[in-house]
Amino acid sequence: MAEHFDLAIVGGGPAGQAAAIALQGLDLSIAVIDEQAQPGGQILRQPPAQFAVRLWLPGRAYDRLKAQTEHFGRLDRVSWLGRHTVIEIARDGAHFALLTENALGVRAITADRVLIAAGCQDLAVPLAGWTLPGVYTAGAIQAFVKSQQYVPGERIVLAGTHPLQLLIAAQIVAAGGTVAEVLFAQPISAMFRAVLTKPLVGLRGSGNMLAAAAALRILRRAGVPVSFGSALQRIEGESRVTHVILASGRRIACDTVGLNYGFVPQSLLPRMMGAKVRPAGAAGGFAAVHDEWMRSSLPGLYVAGETTGVAGAPASQAEGELAGVGIGLDAGWIDMAEAGRQTRRARSRHRHLQAFARLLDTVANPLPWFPVPEDDTIICRCEDVDYATLAAQSGGGSANAVKLITRCGMGPCQGRNCEPSLLRMLDDRGLTSDPGFTQRFPARPIPVSELADPG
Amino acid sequence: MSKTDVLIIGGGLIGCATALHLARAGASVRLVEAGDINAGASGQNAGSLHFQMERRFLENGAALADQAARIIALNRLAIDEWRGLEVDLGVDLHVSQKGGLMVAETPEQVALLEAKSRREISGGLATQLLDGDAARALCPALGPDVLAASYLADEGHADPRALTPAFAHAAAEAGAVISTRQHVLSITRRSPGGFDVAAKKGDEMETLQADQIFVAAGAWTPAVCALANLHIPLFPVALLMNATERTGPILPQLIQHVGRRLSMKQAYAGNVIIGGGWPSRLAQRPDGGFDLNARASIIPLSRSGNLRAAIDIVPQIGALNLIRSWTGVTTISADQLPIAGAVSRVPGFYVAAGGSAFTLGPTFARLIARVMGGERVEALDVLSPDRFNHLNSFMG
Repeated sequence: MAEHFDLAIVGGGPAGQAAAIALQGLDLSIAVIDEQAQPGGQILRQPPAQFAVRLWLPGRAYDRLKAQTEHFGRLDRVSWLGRHTVIEIARDGAHFALLTENALGVRAITADRVLIAAGCQDLAVPLAGWTLPGVYTAGAIQAFVKSQQYVPGERIVLAGTHPLQLLIAAQIVAAGGTVAEVLFAQPISAMFRAVLTKPLVGLRGSGNMLAAAAALRILRRAGVPVSFGSALQRIEGESRVTHVILASGRRIACDTVGLNYGFVPQSLLPRMMGAKVRPAGAAGGFAAVHDEWMRSSLPGLYVAGETTGVAGAPASQAEGELAGVGIGLDAGWIDMAEAGRQTRRARSRHRHLQAFARLLDTVANPLPWFPVPEDDTIICRCEDVDYATLAAQSGGGSANAVKLITRCGMGPCQGRNCEPSLLRMLDDRGLTSDPGFTQRFPARPIPVSELADPG
Repeated sequence: MSKTDVLIIGGGLIGCATALHLARAGASVRLVEAGDINAGASGQNAGSLHFQMERRFLENGAALADQAARIIALNRLAIDEWRGLEVDLGVDLHVSQKGGLMVAETPEQVALLEAKSRREISGGLATQLLDGDAARALCPALGPDVLAASYLADEGHADPRALTPAFAHAAAEAGAVISTRQHVLSITRRSPGGFDVAAKKGDEMETLQADQIFVAAGAWTPAVCALANLHIPLFPVALLMNATERTGPILPQLIQHVGRRLSMKQAYAGNVIIGGGWPSRLAQRPDGGFDLNARASIIPLSRSGNLRAAIDIVPQIGALNLIRSWTGVTTISADQLPIAGAVSRVPGFYVAAGGSAFTLGPTFARLIARVMGGERVEALDVLSPDRFNHLNSFMG
């Protein structure tokens, strides 16, 4: 018999936590499901309990989130299902049936309402050499550093268009690592121009601006060069990365590369369920569509945080708060006047943060700066489908049609990594509104025996 | 305005293959497809090449089984068709005809296998009955519960992703004009013969004139035929399929079950494909009836039952990761046999749909093309749409 909850929240990051906190004091059973062992999401990736990490995530930007995580940990009636992966969410009569998996096997849960706050993931960017050992997304390197103070490499190059790589570089330096160089593909003038068109918005996002400035100071002190207008062209090496080559022809020796061209929403679960999504922006991916109370297009299903578009942790917190109150409102636990009162501040915060997020999107816009893959560059890593094969196929037909012909997106990751690359190729050919791959069960690979009838 | 001898509606396996045969025979051919080529059941099925009588024909009584036995002649044609297909099309279709085993786990199922085999042998299909150990000698992955199996050396599997595009490509080379994302809006009969068809692509309307129409639109066939004021009694069926991660070679043969819903094979890339006729739930329209344009949803009991059957027969499947479950929508007729041939109520109107059309589709296409060319083809009589002629007494 499946365990039943009034509400299931997928994701224990800033948004999921904020939703649970917004509902505190009401007599509700809430399950919060997360792939990580401990709450906090990617932004607060916690070290394992048995690790003592000195000065874990110092800095004001993290303090608010740490406080929220602490608050979240004190909530009654919240069941924390850490290390659980959601395999499926399906409508089952009046409620939702969730299938989750952990080390012990499959666990079925039912819930009257579901909030998906699954965060975002690094955009995978194919270029020559990107499948060599030693190439990571910058976010993956950051996750190592945050959770275990582990720096995966001796000499790291960060490359891309997203300003976050400044922070990541500073964190690597603080953890004792060596950053060879931070490369921005776009010229600095393009970044300034974007900020100057919206100076007020830039000012409101001053927390982020200050964090970037602080990171730049750390990098300067450590002698880490930061270059602009320096587009990555190839990554080279035999059995591992030994250097990168820029479009200018310049060569930088390194054993590790972190790519940082942006982030895409984790919207696989809403898409599997048939909730409405929209193209998320220049970096690609799809964002779940919602109304002012974070209701998705499906009754009973709510979405919040970066599943609805990448806008940073504070915006996710605000959306989580709105979702929590919205859920309370719909269930009749909170009345409209109270709901309005409770969310006034979150709403105004959200508006400002969204404006800043749009500005950041312009500053970080990767579209003009993506490296051009070579013919034999692998685009779909699960199925080894290269660029030339896709280029020959993507002249007509949908992403699903190309998938069927080439196997691109048919592997264990279900297209999570290659879908944005393929959609950009279709886009270049004028097929601009492709809905992407049909998202199939299971959300993560799972042993056949765990799904089979016990017999 | 386009004017051709033949207009084919449906860019699946049968439509594309028929376009090829007609174009090769010298006809001018236009094919319209509402979505993409191979987007329906032709590309979504599990790729079995199965020629033994199916479980579904055996479990509903002797009368139905007798009738189904008449399809054996078509199966024999299909075996030869598949043997020549890769050479004919010049494309690697990943055809593997390394045999098929239909397994039994209980004495009752063994009796069913024996009865089935008798029918097949009298129809000229050389199935062989094996005991459990002999079956395991052929396919060591089979588990200890397999009591017996009937073996047919010609069975196997092929790649549904490759076949229809290969037919479409060859048809275009032979002169057929194929357009995708073009929707047929109306079908009007002309006097004294032929048809006017209105079609829409994007915002562009086009009139397509043809002497003959061939509808091969899978589950959408009844709706397309309704545009010609005809009943084609086919019912949509949503079937579940599952794919594991890739693994080393473990299953050379096609595996089916005589008493349970199960088909299993290892595709060329190494993934094990598990199906066998477990239902998914078709989407419903708010005003009643099924919505074929919305995604069918998986029934958890189908999934767990299908995977249980797979593990019972090939235990090592249990340790593999499942990476994908999906649903394909096919159709079934009142007597379970496909519908393929001329609709005599409306001269010049032909149709083919109704399931089993991966294994038999290339053969249907070859025969239909001959019928449309004016030949009498006895092998298709058993599938004639005219067996449901009474439904069209007041139609047309």
